[in-house]
Formats: sequence, C-alpha cells, structure tokens
Amino acid sequence: MTSDTKPAFLSAVLAPARESLAARRDPRPGGQAWRRLAADPRLRTTLPVALILLLAAFLRFWQLDRVGFNSDEAVYTGTAAALAGDEALRGMFPVFRAHPLFLQLLLSTGMHGGVSDWTARSITASIGVAAVLATYALGRRLYDHRIGLLAALILAVMPYHVVVSRQVLLDGLMTLCATLVLYCVARYVESAALHWMLASCALMGATVLAKETSIVLVGGLYAFFALTPAVRLRLRHVGAGLLVMLAVITAFPLALSLSGRASSGQHYLLWQLFRRSNHGLLFYAQVLPWVIGPLTLLLAAVGLLLLRSHNTWRERLLLTWLAVPVVFFTLWPVKGFQYLLPTAPVIAVLAARTLARVDTLQWLRQRGRTVATGASYALALVLTISLLIPTWSRIEPSNTGTYLAGTGGLPGGREAGRWLQQNVPASAQLLAIGPSMANVLQFYGQRRVYALSVSPDPANRNPSYQPVPNPDLAMRQARFQYLVWDSYTAARSPSFGAKLTALVGKYHGVAVFTSTVTVRSKSGQPAEAPVVVIYRVRPV
Amino acid sequence: MSKQLLAAALAALFTAWLAAPAATAAPAATKPITPIEHFVYMLQGDRSFDNYFGTYPGAEGIPPGTCQKRVVTGSDEDCVEPFPLHGTNVQALGAGNVELDNQYDEGRMDGFVAAYQNQGRDGRPVMGYYDQRDLPTYWGLANRYVLFDHFFSSTRSGERVNRSYWVSGSPPPTGAPKAVAADYAKHLTIFDRLQAAGVDWKFYVQNYDPKQTYRTSSRTTPTTQPVRVPLLNYPRFIDDPALSSRIVDLSQYYRDLDRGKLPAVAYIASNGPSERSTRSIDSGQQLVTNLVGSLMVSSAWKSSAFLLSYDGSGGWFDHVKPPQVDSHGYGMRVPALLVSPYARPGHINSDVLDYTSALAFMERNWKLAPVASRDAAAKSIEGAFDFPSGPRPADVRFTEPAVAKTPVTSVAVVYWCYGAVLCLVVGLVVFAAVRSRRRSGTPPPAQPSANGKTPRSVPVRAKI
Repeated sequence: MTSDTKPAFLSAVLAPARESLAARRDPRPGGQAWRRLAADPRLRTTLPVALILLLAAFLRFWQLDRVGFNSDEAVYTGTAAALAGDEALRGMFPVFRAHPLFLQLLLSTGMHGGVSDWTARSITASIGVAAVLATYALGRRLYDHRIGLLAALILAVMPYHVVVSRQVLLDGLMTLCATLVLYCVARYVESAALHWMLASCALMGATVLAKETSIVLVGGLYAFFALTPAVRLRLRHVGAGLLVMLAVITAFPLALSLSGRASSGQHYLLWQLFRRSNHGLLFYAQVLPWVIGPLTLLLAAVGLLLLRSHNTWRERLLLTWLAVPVVFFTLWPVKGFQYLLPTAPVIAVLAARTLARVDTLQWLRQRGRTVATGASYALALVLTISLLIPTWSRIEPSNTGTYLAGTGGLPGGREAGRWLQQNVPASAQLLAIGPSMANVLQFYGQRRVYALSVSPDPANRNPSYQPVPNPDLAMRQARFQYLVWDSYTAARSPSFGAKLTALVGKYHGVAVFTSTVTVRSKSGQPAEAPVVVIYRVRPV
Repeated sequence: MSKQLLAAALAALFTAWLAAPAATAAPAATKPITPIEHFVYMLQGDRSFDNYFGTYPGAEGIPPGTCQKRVVTGSDEDCVEPFPLHGTNVQALGAGNVELDNQYDEGRMDGFVAAYQNQGRDGRPVMGYYDQRDLPTYWGLANRYVLFDHFFSSTRSGERVNRSYWVSGSPPPTGAPKAVAADYAKHLTIFDRLQAAGVDWKFYVQNYDPKQTYRTSSRTTPTTQPVRVPLLNYPRFIDDPALSSRIVDLSQYYRDLDRGKLPAVAYIASNGPSERSTRSIDSGQQLVTNLVGSLMVSSAWKSSAFLLSYDGSGGWFDHVKPPQVDSHGYGMRVPALLVSPYARPGHINSDVLDYTSALAFMERNWKLAPVASRDAAAKSIEGAFDFPSGPRPADVRFTEPAVAKTPVTSVAVVYWCYGAVLCLVVGLVVFAAVRSRRRSGTPPPAQPSANGKTPRSVPVRAKI
C-alpha cells in the first residue's frame, strides 16, 4: 500500500514517522544527527503514540490465555472454527445463530491450522489495540495531537476496554468500527464531501455487521444532524449514504437466505426482541463507572460543563453518540456488561479534552507555566494510575466462585472440558445447570451438553439451545451419563442449581472431576473452592 | 485296634493340617490371555433371531417368499407370511416342548403356524417380527458392535434347560427329587472352574430374593427365580457362603462399576423386563441400555465384553434349521449381540455358535478346563473380536440411528457475501482518504459550526 492509498487517519499517524526517517537519512555527523533526531518534532509526535500502543498491547496480550473461554467466547470461536472447517465443532456450534458473522470470519482466517484460545483472543486483542489508535486519530482530528494522545492513553488503560478486548467478543470490533465512523463523520462535517459521507455509512454498515445492536448508533448520528442545523446535510448525500449502509448490512440476511437459513435469523430476532430482562434498570449505572473510571467520567462531565462556552459541533457529535446507546440500553430489558463499549472512546476523548485544558486554568497560570504544566501532567498521571490499578486486578484470574458475563474468562471451565475430552466417551451426553457452562464444555470437551435452565417454551429460549422438558425421565432413560454443577450458574440460578443437586443425589452421582479456584476464606487464608464438579450418574 | 484308630486319627489330623492352608488360601488369580478382563453374560427370554433381526440389513434374515402353512399337509396358498408387529400388543406364545418339536418338524422347519393351529389356537402371531422402530437399542448396538446371525439356543427344550447350558454347558439333572439333588452336587458349572482358578465372578439377579431357591419351590408354590438363576438349584451355591455371597442383587452391578470392582465374569438375570411379552420389550431395552451404558462410562469398559442373548425361541418363527450337534440340540436360532471396545464395529458374525460358545471363550481366556462335552467342542465367540485394532471408545448413544449428520452450511456463501461488502467498505474509506489527500492543497469547503464559527482542522485551544 502506498501512502496515497492509506486511510487518512493512518496517514496522520504515520506521516511524522516517515519524515523522521527521512531526516535520519540526512548525512550528518553521528552524535549531532542523533540529537537532531531526538529533537525532531515529528518523532516527538510519533513516539508517544507508539509507546501508548505498546502499553495497550501489553495490557491486552499479557497472559492472554491464562483462563479459558467464557460462554460467548466459546460460541464465537466455535462458530469461527465451524467456518474454518472443524467438523467436531460444526456439530456443536451452528454457523447461523443470533449475530452477524464479521468477527467470526476474521477469527476463522486464523483457525485453518487449528483452534486455540490464544489465536482467537490475539485477534480481538489486536482489534482492541487498533481501537486505541483510532481513538488517537479521532481526538487529533476533533481537537489536537495532545488530546488525541491523552484519549488514546485513557482508552489504552481503561479497565472496561482492556477487559472486553481481551475476550473473543463482538463488542471490540464493533467499537473499532464505531470509532472510525465518528472519525469519518467528523471529516464529513469538516469537508462536506460526499466521499466522507459514503465512507461513514459504509463503516456504519460494517459496525452493524460486527454486532447488530450497533444499529442504535445510527440514532446517535440522526440526533447529531437533527440537533445541529448549522451542518448542512445534503439529501443526495444522505440518500447515497443510506444506500451504501444498507448494501453493506445486506450481507447478513443475504448469507442467511442463500444458505437456506432465513428462518433461523427470524427466530433469533424474535427471541432477542422479546426475551426476558436479565438485569435491572440501574445495571449500567452501578457497574460501568467502576470500569470506565470515576475520575474519567468526572473529567468528561466537568469539561462539558465548564467548557460549555467553547462547545462546538464536536462535543455535540460526541454527546449524541454517547447518549443514545446509554439511554437505549438502560431502558432495553436485555443488558450486557460489554454492550456500551462503543461509548468508551468517546468518554476517553471528552476526558482528554478536559485534561488538556487544565494548564489553562487561571489560578494555575498565575503560579507560572511550569506549575501549570506540571499540574496537568500530574493529573494525567493520577488518572492513568487510577485506571491501571483496577485494570491490572481485572486481568488476573477471578478469585471468587461467582462471575458476571462478559468480564473475562471462566475459571475451571477449560479444565473441565479438557477432562471430558480425555475421559468421557465421545457420544456421552451431559446435563449442566445452564447453557453458559454447557457452551464452554461443548467447546473444550466436544461432548454434547444440555442445560436444565433452557425453557421448553420456544419463545423463552435461544433457538440454538435444546430443552430437556422432563429431566427426571431423561435420567431414567439413561439419556445423560454425567451431570455438571458449577458455582457460577448455581449462584445465578439457585433453583436450577438445587434441581441439579437433587438429580445428583437421586441418580447415584459420583464426583469424577472437580475444578477449583483459590479464594480467600473468612479467616483471610487462601482456600480451594470448587467451581465445576462433574458427576457420573446412573439411572438405577 | 485302638492304636490303629489313634494312628489313623493322627494321620488324618496331620493331613488336615497340611491341607488346611491350601484349602483356605485363595488360589492365585489367573490372568486372561486376551485383553478381555471383564466378561458380562446376560440372557433375556424367548425370542428368535427372525423375530428380532429378520429384517436387519445384511444379516441372514427372513427369506423372500416365506409363508408358513396353517396345516403342514394343507394347501400352499393357505399360509401366513411374516408381518411387522409394530404397534401391536402380542402376548408370549407359550411354546412348550411339543410346540417347539412340531415347529421343527424333524428339520423341515415348516410347522411354526401349524403347531398352534393344530391345537385350535391362532398361529398367525408366530410370524410377526420387530424392526428398528421397536428395537432401537438392539439395532443401534448391532449397527455399532457385533450381531451374531447363527447363534443358536443350546437345545430345543425350554428356558430351564437352556439356562442350564448357559452356566454348565449341559442339561440339568433329571429324575426323582432326591436323585436330582445328589446329581446337582456333582454337576459342574463354569463358576466352579472360576472359583477354583481364583477368577473373580458374580451372578447379578434383578430383584434378588435369597430365600427363593429350589428348596422353596414346589408344584403348588412355584418360583421362577431358580429357573432364571440355575445356580439356585445347586445345594453348594446356596449353602457355601464363599459361593452364595457371589449371587447378589443387580443393584450391586452398578455399585461395583462405580467402585471399579466389576468381577472378571458377571452373569445377569433379569426379572420383569425379560422381553417375553410385547409390553416388556421396551423395559428390557431400557434395562440393557442402563447396564451397557453404565459399563461404557466405567473404568472397566476398556477391557470388557458384554454378551446378550435369549434363552430360547419361545415359539417365534425362525427359518434356519439348527445343526444337530448331539441328542439335545442345537435349538432354534436366537438373537445375540456382543458389545465390547474390541468388538468389530457394525459386524455380522456368522459363526455357528450356541450359549456354550461363550463358555468356551471364558475357558480359553482364563485357562480353565471345559465344564462339559458341549463347551469342549463348541466354537468360541472369539472370532467376533478384533484385538489387534486395540480398544475403541464407547458409543453411549447407541439407541440413536448412526446416520444422523449435521447439515453442512455453505461456508463459501458466507465468505462471498461478507467478503464482498467488506471490500466495498475498505474501498470507500480508501477512496475518501485518497480524495482528501488530493484536495489537501486547497482549503476544505467550510461547514459552519454549531456556534456559528468556522471549524478548523487544527482547532484553537479553548480556555477554561
């Protein structure tokens, strides 16, 4: 790829480096050349970006596969493996489930040589690092290099983004695409050029192909243009852009239709629309501040408030992009920890904007330029450390027997699955409490695992799950040879956990495998707690 | 005289003292010569091969054009053709020695219907057969393991005699009760051989009642347990704790599997789900599913073999004339299945075998002397094994058809659809970037900002 054909934000990032290299080729005496190089403004521009990307990569790749997949990761990787031709996993993970297949296709390209946790996660972690770069480009485009750097640094160490991008989840790719959409929209507003509208809409389509829930973000764009009449929006541009976006999104239903699975997509859509609430209205308000960082949120809010006299279309664009999904998913009954990840780069840019203005405070400037700059750097350092500490603790394996979906790998699941693969007949069938553990065991164990909690009512279950309408009869008929108890699902669904425990007792369960995690006991001493127990059962 | 008595007594005591350690110490267990360390042998009741597997693909089943005359000497047209029993409820045919002899008709095999018609009974049900729809477990096992299609009952007589061959390779003693009891004391079984060789064995009996033996059974209060469990006709297997403790309830089988204590040889007799009537076929299959399924998931599976057969034809039609190996048999062909990690997958074995063929295998495997002349001459079931290929994993979902396959999604369609639109996305972004670079020499068309100021690509730093 020549420099002329690179995307604009890449050119913006790479141009200083290219010019610095050109400067290095300048024949001058060695020491002097090095000093000139160090003083080169372009290198001083590029080097921080590279360091931030290195930090982002370190946090996203460090001990990446120390803990095995959670349920969603198992499903996406299993689907990718099925696309890559893995016969064993194809039977367990149908290609067409609830979501489009953009990420799964990317993953499948790395799986033709075999399926591994690290390969799958390294792809999503790389996407996470790319999102940091995109956030830099967005901050730089909307404001300046300094704000771009600070925004990239905040996102690089933000627990929310680090935790999600270390997992094989659709939301990391969705966030990268969404950030690029914002960048292109900013370019469109600046240039009023059709090609930026088309690029924005094409990327919006790609965002939807990454995860269909991102269609909500179109509402954010609509709100921005509706609330910013000064931005002239030509009907011709809108029409062409919408056509492009629809053309891109069409890949999802088209592939379904050509594969004869149109009804599968409809079933999933119906189920997604009418499934039961899984978290309360205040779920995001209670959970997200601690993973985005209270200080980050405070800086973003304070900046919007105190800098309101300087607010332009830029802040309006960021705010509408932020507000629409937040309001939508707060009201929408189905909530996921990672659903609001596309708002993270926006919050990072807004916080960076405030951070970059600290040294312009009047009372700081009165104490001298050095003090003002020092205070600005100190606040940035405090913010970075305040984010790094929870990030570091979250990339360590969980030391509790409970688990919130989307917050990381599932300790004990991989070990249990691998034990199944080595010790249980291939055609054996297992019954777990819930489908999450069932997915993990199916992925690692390649054994068919059913779940007690899957509803017999088709309207109340994921269409890819098969219910066990009468577990007791199934046990008497020897349909299941093993039962699986896990602390995560048992804590979430105590009634089903108790039901499985009763089946274990009634059908002479013998524990044949136990996964444990080290937890702190009440006395503060480390102790081993069981998280997954596999029982062999018999009907009589 | 007293000296002689004293000397004799001392000699006897000395002999007893010498003999005592040998008598109390268990003999060293004989190691099997094949990889089969656990052999489970189960008999169910009264089914012929054609009744269960007459339409099984590839087996020697019911020949085309089969039609049994209602009257042996009657017209060829007045006959009954085989028909599926699916969805019907047929009681046990109640075949005694007379009916079985008439069906055999001195080897002409033409009296299956007539044997009943002659008695004024309806002979048509005899020609009924079951198939995959009724026998998913057994057909599933046949698809995955070994089905024998020339496995005969040991004699044309009924359940009691055939079960005697099952344990001893010979018919049971007959005659007056006292003489019979004395004969049983001398009548050897495979378990005597196993016990003497120190090979662990157990006889698992469903709903076992230790009080029901030949001593408690009479013409007025008959009990079926001694018929199903021939050992309960032998005084030593009732009175000697070393032997009687090995006859246990079937629930012990599952516990032994759980603890990894399955004996080298295990016999199983059911009670209730014996498959003699239509209604008990499902429960019989469920019982076998439980027994085999539990074995498959146990630690014993990799060195085990499970042989299932039936203790007589029960009057059901079978077209193959049994070979005459001695004055007692063979009897009619019966179904037989071998389930083992070493069984040839989906194999139909056509060796001519009977119940004593399994005794022959046990005797060779554990280096035991034959129990009787029949097992000494019998061909072993060993031909059904494939030991060089090594043990294969268990297939516990044997009740399901083996042909079910996941429909293959066209992956190429997915790649093409997504690939095309993603190329479009990348193309448009690159196009926009290139266009912008070309225009970079000229100022961008201005878009007014929300506050009326002209936005700039390098904005002025706002102040708080």
